[in-house]
Amino acid sequence: MTIMMPAPDQMVLDRRDAIVRDFREIVPGEGVISSAAEMLPYESDALTAYRQPPMVVVLPETTAQVSRVLKYCFDHGIKVVPRGSGTSLSGGALPLADAVLLGLSKFKRIREIDFDNRVVVTEPGVTNLAISQAVAHAGFYYAPDPSSQIACSIGGNIAENSGGVHCLKYGMTTNNVLGCELVLMSGEVLRIGGKTPEQAGYDLMGIITGSEGLLGVVTEVTVRILRKPETARALMVGFSQVEAAGECVARIIGAGIIPGGMEMMDRPAIHAAEAFVNAGYPLDVEALLIIELDGSSIEVDELIRRVEAIALGCGSTTCRISGSEAERDLFWAGRKAAFPAVGRISPDYLCMDGTIPRGALPRALALIRDLGEKYGLGVANVFHAGDGNLHPLILYDANKPGEMDKAEAFGADILRCCVELGGVLTGEHGVGIEKRDLMPHMFSEVDLNQQQRLKCAFDARGLLNPGKVFPTLHRCAELGRVHVHGGKLPFPDLPRF
Amino acid sequence: MNILHIRDAADVEAAVRTAIAGEQPLEIIGHGSKRSIGHVMMTNAVLDVSALNAVTCYEPSELIITVQAGAPLDEVLSLLDSKNQEFSFEPMNPAVLLDSRSGRGTIGGMIGAGLAGPRRIKAGGVRDHLLGAHAVSGFGDSFKAGGRVVKNVTGYDLCKLLAGSWGTLAIMTEVTLKVMPKAEAERTLVLRGLDDLAANRAMTAALGSPYDVSGAAHTPHSALKAARGALAGLASMGQTATLLRLEGIAASVVHRGAALAADLASFGAAEFVENAESAALWREIRDVAPFAADGPLGAWPVWRIVCPPASGGVFGQTLTRETGGEVIYDWAGGLLWAALPPSVDAHAASLRRRLAPLGGHATLLRADEGLRRTVDVFHPQAKGVAALAERVRQSFDPKSIFNRGRLTRMPI
Repeated sequence: MTIMMPAPDQMVLDRRDAIVRDFREIVPGEGVISSAAEMLPYESDALTAYRQPPMVVVLPETTAQVSRVLKYCFDHGIKVVPRGSGTSLSGGALPLADAVLLGLSKFKRIREIDFDNRVVVTEPGVTNLAISQAVAHAGFYYAPDPSSQIACSIGGNIAENSGGVHCLKYGMTTNNVLGCELVLMSGEVLRIGGKTPEQAGYDLMGIITGSEGLLGVVTEVTVRILRKPETARALMVGFSQVEAAGECVARIIGAGIIPGGMEMMDRPAIHAAEAFVNAGYPLDVEALLIIELDGSSIEVDELIRRVEAIALGCGSTTCRISGSEAERDLFWAGRKAAFPAVGRISPDYLCMDGTIPRGALPRALALIRDLGEKYGLGVANVFHAGDGNLHPLILYDANKPGEMDKAEAFGADILRCCVELGGVLTGEHGVGIEKRDLMPHMFSEVDLNQQQRLKCAFDARGLLNPGKVFPTLHRCAELGRVHVHGGKLPFPDLPRF
Repeated sequence: MNILHIRDAADVEAAVRTAIAGEQPLEIIGHGSKRSIGHVMMTNAVLDVSALNAVTCYEPSELIITVQAGAPLDEVLSLLDSKNQEFSFEPMNPAVLLDSRSGRGTIGGMIGAGLAGPRRIKAGGVRDHLLGAHAVSGFGDSFKAGGRVVKNVTGYDLCKLLAGSWGTLAIMTEVTLKVMPKAEAERTLVLRGLDDLAANRAMTAALGSPYDVSGAAHTPHSALKAARGALAGLASMGQTATLLRLEGIAASVVHRGAALAADLASFGAAEFVENAESAALWREIRDVAPFAADGPLGAWPVWRIVCPPASGGVFGQTLTRETGGEVIYDWAGGLLWAALPPSVDAHAASLRRRLAPLGGHATLLRADEGLRRTVDVFHPQAKGVAALAERVRQSFDPKSIFNRGRLTRMPI
C-alpha cells in the first residue's frame, strides 16, 4: 500500500492559517472545516486502505463560491481535490496534505424536473437514487444504477462515469448525461450542453464525464430520464460449470437478446450472499446467472422462454423464473448484497473492476483461480457478465502482516490479465490512485501524453486532483512542444501551403 | 491539388510528420462524401485514407467490430447485416442531401461527422458507440484511445471527442464500434393532419409512454410530396404525417402499437405501416429525402437544428412562417431539418437569434461555397466554451495541420 503522491508544497503549508482565513471570507458560516477532528471523515473515500488528512475542507453552497475558491487556489498555486459523497472505490477523492478538499455535499437541490423534455436539472450533491425517486411518481427513472446509488452523488457519477447492473442495456453515465455547469480551475464558469440531445461543437461533456475530477468542478448537471418499462422479470439459472454459464451469456447475446441486466456469481459469492440474505440461491452450483428482461409483458414472456431454452441448452442445472415483483427483488437481493456479504466471511476484501471480452470469461476465471492459489488468498467473483465487467473480491486480513500487500499484488495481476485478454483496467470504478501505476500496462507513454495534453487544456497548472489517474506528471509546456521529425521525409513532394 | 495516397497506418504517421515539418495543412478525406460540409478549407493538399479499408475483426457475439477508418460504410453495413446486426445509431447517407457521387462514405467519415439517425433518441449517437480508436495526432504520434470493450473508464474518454470532430483533432486509422442485433420486427404508427405544435405534443406523449418508441418524426405534406419513395406514399391524403416507430419481437410491436394508438387517441386515428415498408420510411427520414439534392428543394440551403425536443414544434412553425421554408422534425422535435429559400445569409442571423434562448444550435449542412465563406456553418459557441474548445483542439493538433479552417470561419 505504498503509492507516491505529489510532494506537499511547504510554502502553501506555511501559509495555512492565512489561507483558511481567506476561505472563511469566501464561504461564510460552517463551510470551512480546519480542525483535525472535524476533518477526520474526509481523510479517505471508499478505498479506505488509503488515508490522508487534507489541509482544509471547504464546503461551498453556490457556484459563485466554488468559482471564487478555485480562482483563489489558482492564483495562489494551491491544489484542489474535489469530492462528492466519498464513495469512490479507486481513491479518486483521496486528499493531499497541501490541498483543499472541495466537497460538493451542500449542492443538494434538484433544480428542475422537465418531463416534456425528459430531463432533470440537478445540483451535483444529489444522490443517484434521489433523482429516480423524484421522478418515480410519473413512471420515470434515471437509468445508471451503481450499487452505491443510495449514497453516491450524481456529481461523483459524472467524475467516475459510473455504471451499474442495468448499463448493459441502458448505458453508463456518459450515455445518460446531456449537460453541466463546469467551473474550471481558473474560476471560469462554463455551460456545456443542456437539454438538447446533442451539444454544439466538440463533445466536451463526453470528456468531462469519467475525468475523475481532473478537468473541472461540476456544479449543475442535466441528465436524461427514461420511462420505466411496462414490466421486468428475472431468471435465476444455476450451472455446475463456470464455462457453461459463460457460454450461456454468449449465446443469449448471440441470439440478439439484450437483457436489462445479466449478472454472474461464482460459488464463494453465491454461498456468502445466500448466508447473508437467504435469497434461495442454489448452493450446489459453480455459477449462478441472474438475467433480467424488461419491456412489454408480451415481449418479456417470450424472451424469458427463449432465455430459458438457451440456458437448458447450455446445461443449466436449476432455473427459476420470478413470478412476482417480490420474487424478482429477492433474486437481486443476494447480488446487490454480495459485497457486504463477502465482508462477513472475510475480515477485509479488495474489490477489483476489470473488463474483458465476454468470450474470455471462462479463461479469466481460470486465471483468477490459479492466481488465488499462487497468492494463497481466497476470491469471490461477482460479474456484470453481460458486458464482461469483473468484480473479483480478494479476501484478506489486514491485521496479518504482509497480507494486504499480497492482496494488492494479486489484484494488480488480475487487472494485467484483463488487459492481456483484450480488456481494460477498469470498467466502472475509475483509475484514481488504485490503478494509476498500472496505466502503462494498457497505454503507452505516447497515449498517456495525449491524455495529459487534454488535461492541460482544462487545467494548465495541474492543480486539480493531481496524483490521480496518471502515473507520471509532465509539465504542460513540455507536453505541448511539437517535435519536428527531421531526416528523410517519405513524402518529399508535399507542397508548402 | 496534391493528393497523398497512403498505404497503411505507418504512412499516415509519416505523412503527418512531413506535413508538420513543412507546416503544411492537410485535408483529410475518405471517399469525400461530406467534403461540402463546413467552411472552405485552407489547404492545397489532401490526405486520402481510403486505402485503409480492411475489416480487422468482427465478433458478432461480442457485439463489436474493429475496422480501418477508410472502410466503406456500405460494405461494413452489409457485413453486419449478414449477421443480423447493425449500428443502432442509424448513420445517415449524406449522398441524398448533398448530391455526392461518392456514395455513403467511410467509417472514419461517419465518425468524424457524427450524424446519427432517428434511433438516436433511444440508442444514442455515434459518440455512444465508438469504443476505441487508433489515430495519429497533430504531433505526428500514433496513439490509442479507449479499448475494445463496452464498459471502460480507463483514462479520459478521447473517443467522445473524435466523434463529431470533423477530422480536426486526429486522423483515425482504426476504430472499434459497438454493434447491436437488429430488431425482429418494426411497426410505424402514423397520425395524420397534425400541425407542428400538435405533432410535437403527440411525439412528446409517445416518448413519455412506456412503449419504447425508437423513432418519432413529423413531416409537412409538401415534404411528403417532394419525396419520391416511401414517404411519397403517405402524401395521397393531402395531410401532414407524424410517424412513431416501435421495434422488437413481432408480438410485442403489435401489442405496443395498439397500446400507443389508444394512448394517443386524442390526436386522431392511427394507421400502421409494417416492417420493410416502415423501414423504408425511416431511411428517408434519416437521409432527409424530401430535401434531396436532386429533388424540388435541391437548390435550397439546409439547416440541421438541434433543440430541446418539446420546443421543436414552436420553433419550427415560426421558422416556416417567417422564411417560407420547410421543416421536417425528427428525434421527437429535438432535431429539425430546415430547407429555407435562398437569402443573403441563409437566414442564419434570425434563426440563431431565435434559437439562443432555447439553448439550441444550428449547422448549415448544405450550402454553396459562397454561403460557406460568409456564414458560420457551425454554431458559434459562447466565448469561454469556444476558447476551451480551441485549447482542446490545440492539445491534439497545435499547428492546425488537420482540416484547417473547416470549423471556424476566417474573417474575409
